[in-house]
Amino acid sequence: MNLQLFVNGLVNASLIAPPAIAFTLLFGVLRFPNFAIGGYITVGAFMAYTANVIFAWPLVAATLFAMAVTALVVWLSDVVVFAPLRNQEPVTLLVVSIAFSLILENLVRLFFASDVRGFDIPLERPIKVMGARITPEQLDILMLAFAITVAVHVVLRFTRFGKAMRAVADNPVLAQVRGLSLRWITAGTCALAGAIFGLTGVFAGLDLVIEPLIGWNLTIPIFAAAILGGIGSPMGALVGAICVGMAEELTILVLPSTYKIAVGFLIIAVFLLLRPQGLFGQPEIKK
Amino acid sequence: MLAYIVSLATFVGFFMLLAIALNLQWGMTGMVNFGIAGFYALGAYTSGILSSKLGLPVGLAMMVAVLAGLAAGAALALLSGRLRDDYLAIVTLGFGEIVRLIILNEDQITEGPRGLRIAEQPLAGWVSVENYPLLYLGLVVLAVAVAFALSETIRRAPMGRVLRAIREDELVASVLGKAVLRHKIRIFAIGGGIMGLAGALYAHYVQNISPDVFLPMVAIFIWMSVIVGGAGNNWGLLLGAGIVMVLLEGSRFIGDIAPWIDAEKLSAGRIILIGVLLIVTLHLRPQGLIPEPRYRNKFQRKS
Amino acid sequence: MAINLTRRNALKLGAATAVFAPSILRAQGAEINVGSLTPNTGGGGPFGPNITASHKRVADLVNGQGGVLGRQIRLYQENSETNPETAVRAADKLINVNGVVGILGTWSSSVTLGIMPKCQTAGVIQMCTSSSSDIPMADEKGLVFNFQALSPVWGDAIAKLAVTRGYGSYGLMALNNDFTKSMVDAFAAVVGADKVIKEPLYYNAAQASYRSEVTSLIEDEPDAVFIPSYVTDFTAVYKELYRQGYEGAVITTGLSVGPKFKEAVGDAADGVIHGLPVPPLESPAYGEYLKEAGLEDTGNVQHPFGTAGRDQMSTLLLAIEKAGTTDTAAVAKAIWQVTTGEGKRTVYNVTDGLAAIRAGEEINYSGASSSIEFDAEGMVLGRDFQLAEIRGGEDVVLERLKF
Repeated sequence: MNLQLFVNGLVNASLIAPPAIAFTLLFGVLRFPNFAIGGYITVGAFMAYTANVIFAWPLVAATLFAMAVTALVVWLSDVVVFAPLRNQEPVTLLVVSIAFSLILENLVRLFFASDVRGFDIPLERPIKVMGARITPEQLDILMLAFAITVAVHVVLRFTRFGKAMRAVADNPVLAQVRGLSLRWITAGTCALAGAIFGLTGVFAGLDLVIEPLIGWNLTIPIFAAAILGGIGSPMGALVGAICVGMAEELTILVLPSTYKIAVGFLIIAVFLLLRPQGLFGQPEIKK
Repeated sequence: MLAYIVSLATFVGFFMLLAIALNLQWGMTGMVNFGIAGFYALGAYTSGILSSKLGLPVGLAMMVAVLAGLAAGAALALLSGRLRDDYLAIVTLGFGEIVRLIILNEDQITEGPRGLRIAEQPLAGWVSVENYPLLYLGLVVLAVAVAFALSETIRRAPMGRVLRAIREDELVASVLGKAVLRHKIRIFAIGGGIMGLAGALYAHYVQNISPDVFLPMVAIFIWMSVIVGGAGNNWGLLLGAGIVMVLLEGSRFIGDIAPWIDAEKLSAGRIILIGVLLIVTLHLRPQGLIPEPRYRNKFQRKS
Repeated sequence: MAINLTRRNALKLGAATAVFAPSILRAQGAEINVGSLTPNTGGGGPFGPNITASHKRVADLVNGQGGVLGRQIRLYQENSETNPETAVRAADKLINVNGVVGILGTWSSSVTLGIMPKCQTAGVIQMCTSSSSDIPMADEKGLVFNFQALSPVWGDAIAKLAVTRGYGSYGLMALNNDFTKSMVDAFAAVVGADKVIKEPLYYNAAQASYRSEVTSLIEDEPDAVFIPSYVTDFTAVYKELYRQGYEGAVITTGLSVGPKFKEAVGDAADGVIHGLPVPPLESPAYGEYLKEAGLEDTGNVQHPFGTAGRDQMSTLLLAIEKAGTTDTAAVAKAIWQVTTGEGKRTVYNVTDGLAAIRAGEEINYSGASSSIEFDAEGMVLGRDFQLAEIRGGEDVVLERLKF
């Protein structure tokens, strides 16, 4: 039983971790919490659905298609919606991003209605590992999520693009003075984050059901994981995702299951009050 | 038709109360609150339960609802007043959701998902049933006027200047010897109280409330109202609340004129329209439709 | 605008114009206005469009034949979004702008109850398919007619059918709302508390995962699990059940396992057992409904709520003709007269019914969703229930319970 809850928590974390990382990447460059992640994930899920079920492409091809389209959507949304508003307060942009998420979600609803959908692949029965059950598909998701975390970490640490991205996140003015193109770095970050959101859409579509609210439902856990890890830190986001994923599972041992969502929030609140900079974030002097 | 306009105006009034409260907290003091639905629900259920289940007079029950909002606002600000904006956003959102979950689950007290029926209404019997909606609108208008006057008084008073100082630069304000946290708690509490009042008025107006009413979407509409209207400006947000409600409701009439438009597409289109309105407004008028007077540099980034 | 309406001015205005009597509004114009307020999006999204389409078909049909009391029917369609907050404003518009005599088609109990104070004040008839037992209590004026069995009846009927399958132990889990919760209670009462393994688990819609709930539900390996729910959450929950390797019987309501569910989970849907109040499949009214809606007769239940939509509009129009007026108190009385009671001529559609009433006959309308007999509180008396199992992607009927 307890091992099963642990496995459950890990599977939760594998859904939350990659988008939490993408969220912190975007935050670093755009400098506001972009809540449109829900809309992006929904777009990803429905693009993959379109390719997989309507065009009858294999799931891998459909996934790549979804990642490409979502990357484009994230980049375009920045150019068209957010970039011209860069002088606004972060909180105003936060509200704009929620509005944009609603726009994306309802555009999807215009074309696909609210019906539940699933990919064209059969559900799998689990394999048993020491009494805990996990499906091969969930194992794939787990490994991919971990690989993405490591890959993003490597990109940030060791590539020129990654270093430029960190420089921009640290100090955009200085980065520009040193000859880095803010525009290209922003575009690259949007594309990278967008691809991850697209992939998350596929993961979520496999795990839950494909419907317009699929992304919105994941938004709070993703945001919570990013905050716990300290915004701007991929490894932190991974640890944050594991904490949130576990917390969601362990709630049931302590409280009626209907309070599941509340417990996530409570943990975040208590944690923030004790350590406002997150697990791995740098303490920040409040302006 | 007039009866509908009266009813719509009453709903606009609820939105305006919430927007005035948010403007106090965020527009004037810079404190983020995404838990509006929580305060709204707290006021609605406090007044509803006290009057319908415990038989308290409606006026008294509504006053307790305001106190409940005040207390919740003060407590939340005391706990989280020092947090960064985006963190405060999630903590307050969490507050709202927790309030909703408690209402949903503690059904011995709140009736949970069944919804709470509230027969009691303020000043019932003063006028005929036909004219009661007008009386109620009068009550709501009175509440809006009082909240508006309170907010304007605070804005113009020396305290308003302190609040703006906190909003622009908390560190400087505290260096100047202002008791930043105390001011924040006070404003957050007043805002919470106004939201509680809005909830109580809502509850006795619709007379049947359920947890489904108090979803985070409420907060988002109020935020849009304040931003579209012009943060920091009390007149602007009245306009903003009116516009958001007219857009929400106006699309109903499209259905009457063009019944061939699928209802699902219509409600999706309505949300898209409101979202686009927010974005376009900010692109064209970065400070909202009616910007805050004199202090226009607030939105320029300090880098 | 609102600011200028001070209380005193407002009172004067109201006294001077007396526009706050919707009955006056209703009497104006030759058309009879009827509101259709259905959940076209949100939790009821899979059902609302069928209901409102049925309202429209019946209204169009009657209009084509010259209307009721010589007046045409004007239908106003609104979307409740399955949300009481939106629904109250929609009801407001229907009552005060469109001057409707009745609001038909509300589905979720919170919506039906949410708009009830407004409807009661304005004296507007409500026809719904909701299942909360609070509905008859809240209806003080006798204007509410429910075309759906109350949820304890669902739990009771599905449990009785389940008992015949002889399961030894049950696990219970449900979406956290009134409809499903009271169904769980009724179900547990029939199968026996000793057979229920542990406290029922409740979850909220729109959760990011249902893993821990499912793990806990099947921990002690019950023979069967009963999960009343709606289609969106059930699909996610069922996928999780399957993935965690549960081999026992999965029982739910028919609402959760429509064609979209079967499409979404594919072959894994096989073996799910579900119960639903069903139209009397052999009834001529149901056969006519299928033709009207352009559906093939598959022998399976189709449009469980769309059929009720047909019956709502038919009943209302028949009652108006019978009452000879659109005064809602008189129409409400006439609703019993045209649906309930023995020794009357049975009619299966609105055309025959109108003809019979005009010929001076007493009628009893028997509908596509049930035979439509109301108790003294306006609740439909009985509906057939059936238990079916999904086999090869199709519903195969296991048992049927007749009323």
